[in-house]
Amino acid sequence: MRHFWHWLLWLWIALAIAGAFLYAPLAKDFIGQSSRILFFHVPMAWGSFVAFMTAGVWSLLYLGKRQLDHDRAAQAAVEVGLLFCVLATVTGAMWARVMWGAWWNWDPRQTSIAFVLVFYAAYLVLRGAIEDPDLRARLAAAYAVFGLVVAPFLFFVLPRMATFTLHPDAVVNTRGKVDVDARMLQVLLVSALGFNVFFFWLHRLRWRLLRLEARRAAEGLTMMTEAQP
Amino acid sequence: MSAPGSLPLPAPRAAAMAGGEVGTPVRRWLGEATAVFVKDWRTELRTRHALHTLLLFAVTTLITVSMALGPLGVSSGERLAVLPALLWIILLFAAAAGLPRGFVQEEETHTATALRLAATPSALFCGKTLYSASLLLALEALLVPLYVAVMQLPVVSLGLLFAALAAGGLGLAIGSTLLAAIVAQAQGRGALFPILAFPVLLPLLLLAVELTRGAVAGSVGEGVLANLLLYDGALAVSGLMLFPIVWNP
Repeated sequence: MRHFWHWLLWLWIALAIAGAFLYAPLAKDFIGQSSRILFFHVPMAWGSFVAFMTAGVWSLLYLGKRQLDHDRAAQAAVEVGLLFCVLATVTGAMWARVMWGAWWNWDPRQTSIAFVLVFYAAYLVLRGAIEDPDLRARLAAAYAVFGLVVAPFLFFVLPRMATFTLHPDAVVNTRGKVDVDARMLQVLLVSALGFNVFFFWLHRLRWRLLRLEARRAAEGLTMMTEAQP
Repeated sequence: MSAPGSLPLPAPRAAAMAGGEVGTPVRRWLGEATAVFVKDWRTELRTRHALHTLLLFAVTTLITVSMALGPLGVSSGERLAVLPALLWIILLFAAAAGLPRGFVQEEETHTATALRLAATPSALFCGKTLYSASLLLALEALLVPLYVAVMQLPVVSLGLLFAALAAGGLGLAIGSTLLAAIVAQAQGRGALFPILAFPVLLPLLLLAVELTRGAVAGSVGEGVLANLLLYDGALAVSGLMLFPIVWNP
């Protein structure tokens, strides 16, 4: 029963999907069925935020202990986080096409998520530009910790500062109240939890793969040096 | 840079300017920061490379913008939306062209090691940031009057314009100092800097554009200046904390 919780997770996410289409009511003032994308769009955005914070924490840990394995964990978190972030952006754009009539119109939230995407894509480009593993880990960690400062600003401060946005209130809005139908909130939380656990699973897999790649590279190196007299 | 004039002060002299081994830690730190600042300006004034790059880049872009739009290319109703944004785009790209040199040059002329020995990282960061900020402010002092004249930008509140230029320029300098230190140690430095820096600097740019619009309109939305200063502060604190990690092998 090693994979028991994997099956539980599949069941949990299936439940969230079924709940999104069959159980939750439609939100007021939304065109057609478009409000149902909420149950996938919002968990993706939250998941990407959790992912980038995870990357920041692993980077801090790397800077404290200088273990390359922690650096690999940070890299894996950014990679999977970018996937979530792209999905949040795409689902958001699909919804914007239905509700606002255009895929992209630089609403403050779209602006923020575009910056976040570019920031973490730049993290991967930076990694690609440095050969030495220790130097790469150190500089990338510094950049990711920088992200710990920039990302909350982009996710929370900038969108709320804007005087005008068409984006619906975040679930917990600026007034600090939850005014969403109870059944919608239930499905949203089930879905958010499911996708967040899903993130950590993907993260573990990607981390393991990076570790194996590093080991294979190291073994290849020793084989080459041993072959030489 | 291969010119001998571009070599920084040798470590003993920097230490001597910093007050040597005597003096309180605070005074030594201040001395080191000042020495870095003075050294950067001295080498800059010998070649004037960064100054010329920044200024010519900004003026060329200004000419391009002015030529593309013409004096009446933007109707008076749209000036408020378009002109402040273009001004900050020019400043951002000029900064990206000129500011990373500060650290790239230290790596290229192999003076980075001497600098590591001569100054504590936080003092070095402050000295370099001050140098970049003063360079940018000098550029703004030359470019902005020209821009206002050529593009016929009607400024109502000079105070807001100065606040935007000062706070925006300072933020650009702080952010690019940290990122230049990162980029200088990687391959493909020139191309890498904009990729790394723009996501960090764009929120700052949005706020500065908003504040400059306020200078044209005469009033600005609540909290824009406060947020801009807050972002400057966040960049400064994280820069001071992260720079030693980036700088020390």
